[in-house]
Amino acid sequence: MGEKSEVIIKLFGILDVTGEVVAMWIILGVLALVSLIVKLNLKERPGKFQNIVETGVEYLDNFFTDILGKKKARKYFTFLASLFVFIIFSNYSGMIPGVGLTDYVKAPTASLSVTAGLGVLTFLFLQISGLRHNVKHYFKRFVMPMFFMLPLLVLDEFIKPASLALRLYGNIFGEEMVTEELYHIFPIGAPVVMMALSVLFCALQAMVFTMLVSIYLEEVTED
Amino acid sequence: MTNSAIIALAAAIAIAISTLGPAIGQGLTAKAAMESIARQPDAAKDIRSTLIISLALMEALTIYGLLIAFMLIGKI
Repeated sequence: MGEKSEVIIKLFGILDVTGEVVAMWIILGVLALVSLIVKLNLKERPGKFQNIVETGVEYLDNFFTDILGKKKARKYFTFLASLFVFIIFSNYSGMIPGVGLTDYVKAPTASLSVTAGLGVLTFLFLQISGLRHNVKHYFKRFVMPMFFMLPLLVLDEFIKPASLALRLYGNIFGEEMVTEELYHIFPIGAPVVMMALSVLFCALQAMVFTMLVSIYLEEVTED
Repeated sequence: MTNSAIIALAAAIAIAISTLGPAIGQGLTAKAAMESIARQPDAAKDIRSTLIISLALMEALTIYGLLIAFMLIGKI
């Protein structure tokens, strides 16, 4: 589905490095650098920069605590929060001027391969955390109301990550396409309307993705 | 009609119809949420998060239609 990505470098002869991968490397580098700087300069009385980061972490903590409860939110915070931060940075990376115009740097979440990868990751995460929490409950969930629900509920486990991936990809890719079409209609001014909307939607999509993952997690690890 | 004209029509119909249903659904959902917030402003926070989830789930249906439309346009 969608257009094909141009391969920039072939790493070790087999690994195709595309513009999305380069953008992800840059995002990961920036995130790692920021966390390292904050971690090395941790102070009792936070400075400006530490305050900003602390506000973000606190917001995420409250966000997951509302859905999962205190104990589970703390336990799974690392995965869920990194998912959120990575997705929101990838979404916004498409709005940096020049990104997407060349083959070398592209917004990662506007490609189905990246979001499908995130979907596979959440699928594995949900199954493993469900199994580790309570094996009996994990299998009981599939035959919970009635036995003949089994095929539907098994299918549901695969549809959840697929719909997560398609939703994120469709939103970001669709936004980009609409912006491009508006640019073709009237180059000056018209795309601003859609870009202003996508400032809102980018954050919303990251929030929806992590919110749905945590709701699925709550279902899987129910007591 | 030529083949590409039919494909273009199909793409237009795909996105048009898949927008209609979710739009009505989202309107109803937002209406209900606003009414309940007006009735019980204390519960606004819980209602808002539930509203966003349900809107996102409905939005997905439109997005599927959009993807199909893009796929069809790619075939012209």
